[in-house]
Amino acid sequence: MLADSSNDLNWTVLLPVVAGGLAVWYMLPSTKRRPMVFGALAGLIALAGLAAFLVSGFGEKIPQTVEAGLFFGFSGLAVVFATLMITGRNPARSALSFAIVVLSTCGLFLLLAAPFLMAATIVIYAGAIIVTFLFVIMLSQQEGPSNADLRSRDPDLAVVAGFVLLAALLVGLERVYDWRNVDSAIAHAQSLADAEQVNGDYLSPLPPMENMGNPIPLTKKAEEFLGEMRTALGRVKVAAPRTADDRRLTDHRLVQEIENAITGLEMWAFKHHDVEAIHTNCETIAKGLTRLKNLRNGSATFEDVVRSEHGEVKTIGNGPKQLPAANVSAIGRTLFSDYLLAIELAGTLLLVATVGAIAIARRERKTS
Amino acid sequence: MISLPHYLAVGAVLFVLGLIGFLTRRNLILMFLSAELMLQGVALNFVAFSRAHGNLHGQVFALFIIAVAACEAGIALAMFLMLYRKKRSLDISLWQALRDPGVEETRDTVPLPAEPKEEPLPVLATSGIEPARKERDYA
Repeated sequence: MLADSSNDLNWTVLLPVVAGGLAVWYMLPSTKRRPMVFGALAGLIALAGLAAFLVSGFGEKIPQTVEAGLFFGFSGLAVVFATLMITGRNPARSALSFAIVVLSTCGLFLLLAAPFLMAATIVIYAGAIIVTFLFVIMLSQQEGPSNADLRSRDPDLAVVAGFVLLAALLVGLERVYDWRNVDSAIAHAQSLADAEQVNGDYLSPLPPMENMGNPIPLTKKAEEFLGEMRTALGRVKVAAPRTADDRRLTDHRLVQEIENAITGLEMWAFKHHDVEAIHTNCETIAKGLTRLKNLRNGSATFEDVVRSEHGEVKTIGNGPKQLPAANVSAIGRTLFSDYLLAIELAGTLLLVATVGAIAIARRERKTS
Repeated sequence: MISLPHYLAVGAVLFVLGLIGFLTRRNLILMFLSAELMLQGVALNFVAFSRAHGNLHGQVFALFIIAVAACEAGIALAMFLMLYRKKRSLDISLWQALRDPGVEETRDTVPLPAEPKEEPLPVLATSGIEPARKERDYA
């Protein structure tokens, strides 16, 4: 899906990535003493850039609701304290920062309608795991400056690698979830299909009599229109096998129809002022793109999917996708029906880990 | 409503920060905390997908992540205690004899900066006559 799309890169992704990389690099422990002000400044710029990217990047307007406020608050807290955690010189403080990261993530879980998971994470992570960490930190306390806390291994390379990965992830997310150019293409095609009279800018001027045999060039506006349609089609097209037993027949047929309509516009309709053909072709393009877009973002389902002969295929209904309100009982039902074996294995794993931890940490006593 | 990609982006940021922490820090405990931070980012992704698809499988996966993280924490912390008893330090570079063949040894050439000297506590100047001390008072 990504290979075919040629929409421009959203450069707002650069600000959070570059500023964040600088901030983390600057704040990582090193033998040089650095004033923390610059690191904090770069970190603030990066946070603001990330917020701007989240607000504008995915093409949907964020409503000004309490949910949005809580989302930005919790994720900001999580990111800030995660940075403080990985850059801290004092392991005990890092562990406490991690506790705050876990609590903020729990807030996000609550926003995502997962109250049981939120409670479990608070109890197990913030309660048990971090307290164990603090015990170990206490048991292995070191006096004075130590190599472990005041030096880092290859901070330049690690920061570059990490933030290149982050940029790739953010750009990938944007390419997958940003439907703006498809939407505008659909609107454009629909406006042409609905227009009583086609705007003269789209139509090639008829050649004078003596040039009758030569090919007629397209106008600039028409070429732009066709390019926009091709980009949008590339965005919704999936590189799928095109054999006869392809299960996504609708899909393939739609793509072919749109391609034929674009070719028809290019070869005939715009050049020969065929308003009827322009209307039908644009109608086909708009309808096909809308249908393909709904298939891609999951708001519609395939109609003629071939069911397997081994029984009914589970389908997700067409209605609004909602989680059950009784979260705990629903999770319990899922765990003990779909994941029964997995949960038994997880229990066994916990038991084995307990035995192993005791066996490892046991102090060998000399019996003499 | 905040849509799926926003949560995925936050999860990606947490994951990348954890990755950087794991690669750069030399304290065993910090490295382990960074790994847990990566797991948090992944769990956030799972829960966000669970919400987007309208079923609970993502949340179940996040629960399994928590279970595995608890096992990891138990075992790893026990191992850290053993390692600390052997070398009296949590520095991972002390164990670099275990590295792959062909990898260069890490040598710390630049000395660590000196600890900033703490200001001595203020001492009151003696004035007046010192009272006579009697040994038996302390007995």
